[in-house]
Amino acid sequence: MICATFIGDLQAALPAGLLLLGVGGTLAVALLFAHQTLRVEQDPRVEAIYQVLPHLDCGACGYAGCSSYAKAVLADPTLIGRCSPGGPAVAQRLAAILSVESAGSSHPIRAVVHCNAHTMDKTYYGNYEGIASCIAGNTLTSAQACRFGCLGMGDCVRACRFDAIHMVDGLATVDYQRCTGCGACAKVCPRGIIEMVTFQQSMMMVVACNSKEDGRTTRAMCKAGCIGCGLCAKQSDIFVVSDNLSKIDYSHYRHDEGTDQAMAKCPTKVIIWRGC
Amino acid sequence: MEVAINKGRFSFRGGVHPADRKELAQDQAILPGPIPSQLVVPLSQHIGQVCRPLVKKGQLVQQGELIADQDAYVSAPVHAPMAGKVKEVSLQPHPVLGRCMAVVIEVDQNSVGQADQPQLPADLDLAKYQPEKIRQDVRNAGLVGMGGAGFPTHVKLDPNPNRPHDTLIVNGCECEPYITCDYRLMVERPLKVVVGALLAAKAWGSRQIYIAIEDNKPKAIQSISNAIRAIGVEGRIEVAVLPTRYPQGGERQLIRAVTGRIVPTGGIPPMIGVLVLNVATASAIADAVVWSRPLTHRIVTVTGSAVARPANLEVPIGTPVGQLIDHCSLKHAAARVVLGGPMMGIAIADPNTPIIKTTNAIVVLGDHELRMGQQGPCIRCGRCVDACPEGLNPSLLARTVQQYAWDLAKDNFITACIECGCCSYVCPAGIELAGYIKTGKAFLARQTSKKT
Repeated sequence: MICATFIGDLQAALPAGLLLLGVGGTLAVALLFAHQTLRVEQDPRVEAIYQVLPHLDCGACGYAGCSSYAKAVLADPTLIGRCSPGGPAVAQRLAAILSVESAGSSHPIRAVVHCNAHTMDKTYYGNYEGIASCIAGNTLTSAQACRFGCLGMGDCVRACRFDAIHMVDGLATVDYQRCTGCGACAKVCPRGIIEMVTFQQSMMMVVACNSKEDGRTTRAMCKAGCIGCGLCAKQSDIFVVSDNLSKIDYSHYRHDEGTDQAMAKCPTKVIIWRGC
Repeated sequence: MEVAINKGRFSFRGGVHPADRKELAQDQAILPGPIPSQLVVPLSQHIGQVCRPLVKKGQLVQQGELIADQDAYVSAPVHAPMAGKVKEVSLQPHPVLGRCMAVVIEVDQNSVGQADQPQLPADLDLAKYQPEKIRQDVRNAGLVGMGGAGFPTHVKLDPNPNRPHDTLIVNGCECEPYITCDYRLMVERPLKVVVGALLAAKAWGSRQIYIAIEDNKPKAIQSISNAIRAIGVEGRIEVAVLPTRYPQGGERQLIRAVTGRIVPTGGIPPMIGVLVLNVATASAIADAVVWSRPLTHRIVTVTGSAVARPANLEVPIGTPVGQLIDHCSLKHAAARVVLGGPMMGIAIADPNTPIIKTTNAIVVLGDHELRMGQQGPCIRCGRCVDACPEGLNPSLLARTVQQYAWDLAKDNFITACIECGCCSYVCPAGIELAGYIKTGKAFLARQTSKKT
């Protein structure tokens, strides 16, 4: 009895089933046809390159995302070193895929904050009660006395996709375990105090100040500022003093006795180690 | 012939009507300010290239001597406001830029001569001033727009031959609350304003001149009308009396209200044949052309509920703000010192900040006049949209800035914002809308400047 009912149902459903099969079959043929004739030939290396890349779509390379970088690097292998989150390892693998000599530097790029003034080191003229954003604070003189140093309102923290920069006591502090060198923080900082530096060693010497004020004013405003005295430049030629500010020329960076001497002699101790 | 009075034929959309608080200083005659011991004269008091200093440390300078100049076209030279000795050329506070290179002059207290106000010569013949000569004199005097923006005036006066240039509007609206320096200028020295307007019109080649004044300044309207009659130019200059509404003195709003023409978004007034000059600029043009006097002094209103004796002072450029506040003394503690009016001015923190060519007022606000720290959520009432004179949606723009949605901000014309602050003023939730929009504009400007 049950069996008969089932067979009856099957008979009733047969036309519908056949119809669906027919539609499916036709579309399958159409798809097969489209697959054969409308195929876009893609270099298999694009996919291979894309797999090697870190899939962060951070934009550090200058392209919209990893897939567009993959296409670009295939067309122009000189772009190999551009992926800073991937670093030298990715650059080498890309070079292997494209069978060229690795063009990129073999050292990672990391963010360096050229300020070392925590809240207690800074001078404030008034209370800043405006919008909590460095861009807004930078337009007003009331945010803090120093017009060159870190404002501490965290635009860079919000820009970082890797949770690698934090406000520690009013100062942007890079977590070098996490920094990938994508440069997003350097792009948003309205005072331009974040520099992307090639880390030749795991720890790099940094002049942690950006103040172009004369020494007297810098001392009055900040306990941790470069006064442009030039003692460091006498010890080692990697230091260049201009506009009352000492800067390290990273294209000639090296660590030797002279730089150690400079660090020891700096009267305000703004030459410090950064890295991990 | 009667002076034609144009009573607000047109108007602009939006705007607000804040309590004007001009009663504090409007009856105070213009007085010479205190003599400072030291002047800080910034090398950039204008839009355009920063000047190069022409003096060295230790050098003696005379009043009106050229101390900094620049070859670039869009720039204005700087003169020594008073005689003295150059102490240094160094980074100093600046009301707009924060820090800027400046010439510091130790004022020679023996040879202090307050800028006197010479009478107009009886045989003043405007026909003898050629347009080229007027522009040259204006440039040599270092004139910039004294209403606040500081665009070099000689550049504005140079007509573009491919564009119409038919209407000059002299802006005496002074719609910002508290400020009265332009009002006092119109009441006390109307002849200079009118002569300056005629000279500017000649240099720019326009026939029609309007002097626009809000209807809450009847004395100024009277005084300017009398001056027009005294010179006998009733046919050329029309006094446009406009309803009192903020931002009536905004360039784009003013042109809309006086001529009915609309400045295209992202465009500038000369595109539609209109030039707008502040009354203080017009008066300075007269000084520069008729008496060849460089811009060394300006009128500054020191006012606000915390000031004991509000005043309109004619002070040398470079006078520290703190010294002027001390001169007028404080009744009670200052909660904010604002350079410019309370709607658009910039709060400063360093009392050593100097007065520059564009500083029209120092407003010292007391605690009770601030509305801080009570921002609530947006309730979507739309009052900011009604108030915006540019027809923007401030609440949406502020949101795009909060969420870094820069493309959306640009699509909604964030750069068309004139930063008048009407939206923040009307917001019932106390959201600092104009602050967010300004932040966004600063960010986008930075992004654009980095690309080029």
